[in-house]
Amino acid sequence: MATSQANTGEPVLYEAHKKIYPREVSGYFTRLRVLSLVTLLGIYYVTPLLRWNGHQAILFDLPARKFYLFGLTLWPQDFIYLAALLILAGLALFFFTALLGRIWCGYACPQTVWTEAYLWMERKIEGKRTQRMKLDKAPTTAKKIRTKALKHTVWIAFSLWTGFTFVAYFTPIDELANKLLNLSLGPWETFWILFYSFATYGNAGFMREQVCKYMCPYARFQSAMFDSDTLMVAYHPERGDPRGSRRRSVEPASVGLGDCIDCHVCVQVCPTGIDIRDGLQYECIACSACIDACDEIMDKMSYPRGLIRYTTENSALGKAQHLLRPRIMVYAGILLLLCGMLVAHISQRVALDLDVIRDRNALYRETRDGLIENVYTLKILNMDSQPHRFQLSADGIDGLKLVSDQAEIVVEAGAVYQMVVRLQADEFNLEARSVSVNFFLQAEDSNHLSTVAEARFVGPGKT
Amino acid sequence: MNSLTPDKIPPAQQAISVLWPSFLTAIVASGVFFSAFNPLDLVPFNLDIDISPLAAYSIGFFIFWMLSIISSLGTLYFTISNCRSLSKPGQ
Repeated sequence: MATSQANTGEPVLYEAHKKIYPREVSGYFTRLRVLSLVTLLGIYYVTPLLRWNGHQAILFDLPARKFYLFGLTLWPQDFIYLAALLILAGLALFFFTALLGRIWCGYACPQTVWTEAYLWMERKIEGKRTQRMKLDKAPTTAKKIRTKALKHTVWIAFSLWTGFTFVAYFTPIDELANKLLNLSLGPWETFWILFYSFATYGNAGFMREQVCKYMCPYARFQSAMFDSDTLMVAYHPERGDPRGSRRRSVEPASVGLGDCIDCHVCVQVCPTGIDIRDGLQYECIACSACIDACDEIMDKMSYPRGLIRYTTENSALGKAQHLLRPRIMVYAGILLLLCGMLVAHISQRVALDLDVIRDRNALYRETRDGLIENVYTLKILNMDSQPHRFQLSADGIDGLKLVSDQAEIVVEAGAVYQMVVRLQADEFNLEARSVSVNFFLQAEDSNHLSTVAEARFVGPGKT
Repeated sequence: MNSLTPDKIPPAQQAISVLWPSFLTAIVASGVFFSAFNPLDLVPFNLDIDISPLAAYSIGFFIFWMLSIISSLGTLYFTISNCRSLSKPGQ
C-alpha cells in the first residue's frame, strides 16, 4: 500500500486505482468455474426465448401487473410469495455461506460472471497478461487504436445484447425485437436498454473487482456468516515458508526452504490483486484461481499439490472439523420448512378471488315486499389461464335471497369481472343489527375452483 | 497515525456511497409500493397527459431514487461535518 506525503507532511492513504491484469489459469476449479459461468450466462440469454402456453415462459409484465413463471401467473395479490421468495433467498445465502464460504462470489455472482466473460473477450483481442500490460504501456499507435477500438466495439455489442435481454424479461422479446428492427422502440424502453447496457459495460469492463471491494454489501457482512468450519481458500505457511526460489532437483528442506518458490503466480492470477499468502482477506472472492495456479507450479516442481487449497479455520489450526453443526442444521431446518410451506401454498393456490364491497350510500333499504335489502359490488378475479362460468350463492341468514341482474357469470382468463348484487332478508330473521353473511363463488367446470368471501348485512336492529 | 477520515474520501467514492445504496433502496421501495398500487392510478387527473405503463413505473422509480439520494446526502453531510467538528481541538 503506497503512501505519499501531502503538503502537510501527513501520509495520504489514498492511492489511485491500478488496473489488474489477471493471468491465465487452468485447472480443476477453473474448469468447474467456467462451467458454472457458461451455464448461468446461457440461462440468462436463453430464458426470454422460452415460451409456455402462448406467452413468454418467464415474463414480468409490469404494465399488465402480472408475473408469468411458466404455468404460474402471479398477480399483485400474490405479493406474499415474492416476499417469501426473498426471505428464502436470504436464508439460502446464509446457509450456503456458512457452509461453503464465498462460493457465490467466485462461481455464481453476476458481477463475476460478466467480468469473466469480458476478460475472456479482452484476452482474445489483446492477448495474454504480459501482452495486455505491454499494450497499455505502449505509445498510441494506429495498431493500438485498432486493437482497443475492436475490444470496445465487441464489449459494447455484448453490453447492448445484455441490456436488450434484460428488458426482454419485462416486455415480450418478440415484440421488443420487432420494435427494434422497425426502429419504433418507446423512449423508456430505449432508456432502460441503454441504462442496463451501460451498467454492464461499466461494471464488467472497467469497475470489475472494485464492485466486489467497495460496492458489494455481501463482502462486508460475510464475517457475520462465517465460522471456524466455513470453507475458505488458504495458503499453508507451515508447509510453504520460508519462501524462496531453488533448483528443481534440490530437496527444499536441505536448503532451509519450504515448498513455496515465491514465483508470485498466485498473485498474478488473482482477479482482486491480493496475495493469498498474507492470509484470508476480505477482498478474496474465493475464485480458486490461486489454487489451480499453485497446483500447476507444484506439479512442475514435483511437489505434492495443495500448498494453497480449500480448507477451514479449524482444519488449518489442526482442530476437529464439524460439518453438521448447530448453525448449519438450524439454517437447513428453517430453509426446508419455509420451502415446504411455500410449495404447499402455491400448489394449493386457488386461481380465483372474490372481493365484496358493501354499498355504503345507505345502511339498508326496504323493498316493496317489506324485505330488508343490502347492495354489494362484487369483483371477481379469474387468475386462471382459461375462461370460466361461475355460480354465485349466499347464506348466513334464514331465507336469504340473492338478486342479480346477470343471468350467468362468465369471466375471461386473467380478467376482472365487476357486478352488482342485492341481498334481501326478512327483518324477523335478522338476529342483530349487523350480521355476517358469506358469498360463495363456484366454477361450473371445475370442482376445486371456488372461493368464499365474507361480508356484513346491516338491518334496522331490534327495537 | 492518521486514519482516513470521511472528509478525505475521494469525491468519486463519496458519490458512489450516496448513489449506490439509494439505488438499492429505490428498487425495494418500488417493488413493494407498486405491488400494492398501480402507478398509472397515481397520475393526477388534472394533468391531462397520457403516459405508458412503463413510463409510469420508470418515473416512479426515479422519484423513489431521488428521495433516497436526498436521505443519503444528508447522512454523508452529517458524517463529514461531524468528523470535521469533532477533530477540531477544543471541541
